[in-house]
Amino acid sequence: MSEAITTTMPQTDAAAPAARRPSRSFIRMVLSNTMIRWGARLGVAWIAVMVFSAVFAPFLANSHPLLMKQDGVISSPLLKHLTINDVLILIAAGLAILTLTMRRIAFSARVLAYACVLLALIPAAWWHESLVHFFTRLSFSEHGEQVRPLVAWGVSGLLTAYIVVMGVLIYKLVRSPSLTLPWKIVTLALAAGLMVLFLVKPHQPPRLVEYDRYRVMAKAGSIEWKIHTPIPFSPSDRLRDQPQMQSQPPDATHWMGTTNLGADLAANMIYASRIALSIGFISTGIALIIGIIIGGMMGYYSGWVDLLGMRLVEIFSAIPTLILLLAFVAAFGANLYIIMVIIGLTGWVGDAVFVRAEFLRLRNQDFVQAARALGLPLRSILFRHMLPNGVAPLLVSASFGVAGAIQSESVLSFLGIGLKDEASWGRLLNDALGSSGTFYWWLAFYPGFAIFITVLAYNLIGEALRDAIDPHLQKAAHL
Amino acid sequence: MLNYIIRRLLLMFPTLLGITALVFFCMALAPGGIGGPALDQSGDMDTERATQVRAYYEKRYGIDKPVIVQYGRWLNQISPIGFTIKEDGSLGRLAIKAPSLGESMSRHRPVADLIRETLPITLLLNLITIPIIYSIGIISGIYAARHRGKLYDVGTGTAFLALWSIPSMWAGVMLIGLLANRQYIKIFPTGGLQGIFASEMPFLPRWTEAGFVHGYLLDVLWHLVLPIVCLSYGGFAFLSKLTRASILENLNADYVRTARAKGVTNNVILFRHVFRNSLLALITVVASILPAMLAGSVVIETIFNLPGMGQLAVHAVQYRDREVVLAMTLISGLLGLTSQIVRDIWYAVADPRVSYE
Repeated sequence: MSEAITTTMPQTDAAAPAARRPSRSFIRMVLSNTMIRWGARLGVAWIAVMVFSAVFAPFLANSHPLLMKQDGVISSPLLKHLTINDVLILIAAGLAILTLTMRRIAFSARVLAYACVLLALIPAAWWHESLVHFFTRLSFSEHGEQVRPLVAWGVSGLLTAYIVVMGVLIYKLVRSPSLTLPWKIVTLALAAGLMVLFLVKPHQPPRLVEYDRYRVMAKAGSIEWKIHTPIPFSPSDRLRDQPQMQSQPPDATHWMGTTNLGADLAANMIYASRIALSIGFISTGIALIIGIIIGGMMGYYSGWVDLLGMRLVEIFSAIPTLILLLAFVAAFGANLYIIMVIIGLTGWVGDAVFVRAEFLRLRNQDFVQAARALGLPLRSILFRHMLPNGVAPLLVSASFGVAGAIQSESVLSFLGIGLKDEASWGRLLNDALGSSGTFYWWLAFYPGFAIFITVLAYNLIGEALRDAIDPHLQKAAHL
Repeated sequence: MLNYIIRRLLLMFPTLLGITALVFFCMALAPGGIGGPALDQSGDMDTERATQVRAYYEKRYGIDKPVIVQYGRWLNQISPIGFTIKEDGSLGRLAIKAPSLGESMSRHRPVADLIRETLPITLLLNLITIPIIYSIGIISGIYAARHRGKLYDVGTGTAFLALWSIPSMWAGVMLIGLLANRQYIKIFPTGGLQGIFASEMPFLPRWTEAGFVHGYLLDVLWHLVLPIVCLSYGGFAFLSKLTRASILENLNADYVRTARAKGVTNNVILFRHVFRNSLLALITVVASILPAMLAGSVVIETIFNLPGMGQLAVHAVQYRDREVVLAMTLISGLLGLTSQIVRDIWYAVADPRVSYE
């Protein structure tokens, strides 16, 4: 026994990657086992469609012509009117494809570099989006004189957390053995460039966009030719030049009909896939992080930490999630980012229970005892050794969690307390029953069907994952 | 076992405290604060008068006090032993008093009355739905497990996953639009709990000279058909899959082979041995189904315009009506926690191997 310890002792540093290798192949095995099921394939195919329409939304549905010739000059109003969000999404998606395809560099290093650049994008989105207004609104009391101390603390806490995470990521990137120096420089330059580029750009007031001007100009004959995107309408183009077009059933120009404000439903549907995707991933990500930390602590320490944690779990699982969501959203406003965070904050319970059950099982296994005996730091034991072995069930719960988050958002928007400015499937569905009892079937059918298919896709993937990992998994978490 | 139940009951207090504190401080932290939207009636009053009215309400509901004091006073108000409150709002002496849920800020009525009016409707919905969910789910699950791999099993396996994924608001809107609409088919009422003439109807259906009178009972049931369909399909789809999985798991167990070898008939194996062992999985979900049903009825009550707890909750949360929101939280928290304890007791009853010592 002592011999075994002495022989492994000097290899502590090398042991970490070696210990991770079998677990990663387990994940890979699970994934390939999942993907042979047709349900999972269909689900992934639908999500790919959604990702495509989310990333290229402005190039699929836009009132601004892609190219047009006017007075002998060829211009692209579409590119001129791209919002900062459109550009950020395109950059993030392009980098994601690069990250996934560059096989020469180790996967973890690629993910690290990607995370670095992605995190650098956040200030840009933050600066541009209404988050600024949100924090200003939250920071002042009703009469607007004094800063609420708790909120001020919260904001500075968030900022500190951001800086710390960014610092850690940059440190890890610089120290990473699997990235060569040029790659490190490229990544850091990209991150710094994006940050500076968008921070230098001042916060602009909203622009007035006249969507109907191209149609009016074309009718007047002042445009020589123009090329449109497949759907020649923006989601917020309310067809002010055609007031009779409100609540029209589908026809040849408006493939899915128009909303009761006169906007094209198909364009709204495409843009809404952004909301569904981002809500699903980000809020599930937040829920996963909280769940892993709380559940991991509960499972590893057990005892009174477990007792306290279980009370927290009970608190969150005994309140119907929707009522909690309603309370949070009514309190903090219906901003897209706020809704993401809130759905994440209320959705971690299932993940925590899963992780707790896994960690309770793992904590007495030999490899954990060995890691503890070797004196590895706690974070190394928890996240390097135990988590990779207990992560498989989390995939299942994350997949169902995404489905749940999408449903939560659409319920909130449907009830009229969710998103108001953005196109969201739930909000569109809410308009289907007119006040006079008229039923606009296209406003009910298409958005509802999109929610249904998306939720079904994630449920199919979750079910396939569960079957691939362990058919008896449900019993692991007593919830 | 008794020890365990007592310990769980005692642990309920800190949990309930946590639940109400979480919701309360979340409300208090919000812009506009507690009661903000409910008490702002400045509409066409001049500024001075609006400020006075606001100040009057703040004093009446104790909003002028610090947030922690407000929470303390609410706890005092709902506990059977506590300080009496004097006319001017200051604390009196410690005594045994009637617990009260306070008065709603947005409707200016006692919360207990509001809940007494709305709770029966939500309970009615859930008490009809839960047996439907369980009976369809269990019967279909057993049938699918018995005929594993046959058409019914494969068909329902996929169909129920799809059914489970259908958002209930979509189902509700489509059902109202197609089955309760003059444009298409008008069979069902669009919403509400009863027709306009319900109060003049006899209770039971009967034949009179004028023909068939469907009566109050049938009228209400007819109004409940669509809401209950929307509430139940997801639940029985989920339960059916769960029942099937746990019965299959038990059917492959050694004790079933032993029983078969002894010559026990299939039905006895299925219902006396396998089903009882499969109950555990069904009991597990009881605890999560009750809070889920409460939340589900928020959507259904809004779509079908049923004046139940769900609608009350949405209204109260929007108006940040402190007393109503806290009462709803308390009630749903109590329901949720109780169902968790009931689940654990049922575990022990259904499976003698489970012990909590």
